[in-house]
Amino acid sequence: MTSETLHVAELRSLLQELASNGESHLAEVEADLSQTTTLLAEAIEKLGVSFFAIHNAVLAQQKALDVMLSAQNLSETEAGQLEIYRQKIADEVGTAVTGLQFQDLTAQLITRIIKRIAGLKELLTSLDEYGDTLNHASSNEDIAKLLESINQTLRFKSNVLTTESRKSVSQQDMDSGDIELF
Amino acid sequence: MAKTILAVDDSGSLRQMVAFSLNAAGYQVIEAVDGQDGLNKARTQVVDLVLTDQNMPNMDGLTLIKSLRAMESYKTVPILMLTTESSDEMKAQGRAAGATGWLVKPFDPKRLIDVVKKVIG
Repeated sequence: MTSETLHVAELRSLLQELASNGESHLAEVEADLSQTTTLLAEAIEKLGVSFFAIHNAVLAQQKALDVMLSAQNLSETEAGQLEIYRQKIADEVGTAVTGLQFQDLTAQLITRIIKRIAGLKELLTSLDEYGDTLNHASSNEDIAKLLESINQTLRFKSNVLTTESRKSVSQQDMDSGDIELF
Repeated sequence: MAKTILAVDDSGSLRQMVAFSLNAAGYQVIEAVDGQDGLNKARTQVVDLVLTDQNMPNMDGLTLIKSLRAMESYKTVPILMLTTESSDEMKAQGRAAGATGWLVKPFDPKRLIDVVKKVIG
């Protein structure tokens, strides 16, 4: 075995191991993200149902309270206190509605991550394919050409991946966003 | 008679929050799951305001706005974009397509209602 063929074998092995291990880890990431998406979707559905049920119950309670209170003479202080509670509930409902939009934002981010992972898997598949091609490389010059070709392919696919996965969510917190009328 | 708002968003939870907020303020809400569904519903029902997301399957918000503005009955109907997109470039595209305003998610119900009232009363 010459030193040249030994390098080819090592390089092929490196590319194939990198592709194989990388794909295996990315498959795990993909599965975890898919599970996360399912859990988030179920969580928001349950939170939504509970939120609306609580809201309806509070509304009904307020109506019942209004009826009971209309039959009594409340002091200004008592009436004022009740109004404070009513306003507090309204404010908290508003805050909850803003917070409950988390699933829309996170789902978009996860979709983008999944697209990136699919792109990375494609890159790794390319490396694996180049590993096979190395079998036919007979000189250092062939190997150098092949490595340059790998570089070009990786650069091209990486650029495509960046172009196709434009970021649509830049929010860093769940504060409500800007409003602009044209 | 309650004014009708067409809410277009592929996120069920977001549509739920929009409908909840607008119903509480006395508006009637029609929901659509994407731009194409929104366009179909806009063709068959009378709508006072359209509130649409941008990134959706089948048809995005900008395409929906352009399609609506091409229809005689939607030349002057206010259309608000409600989206995670917040870049000046996207806003300029929305404005050029015929959007009336741009709201960045997540929305605050009070502020949403204030804007809707300002636009359609």
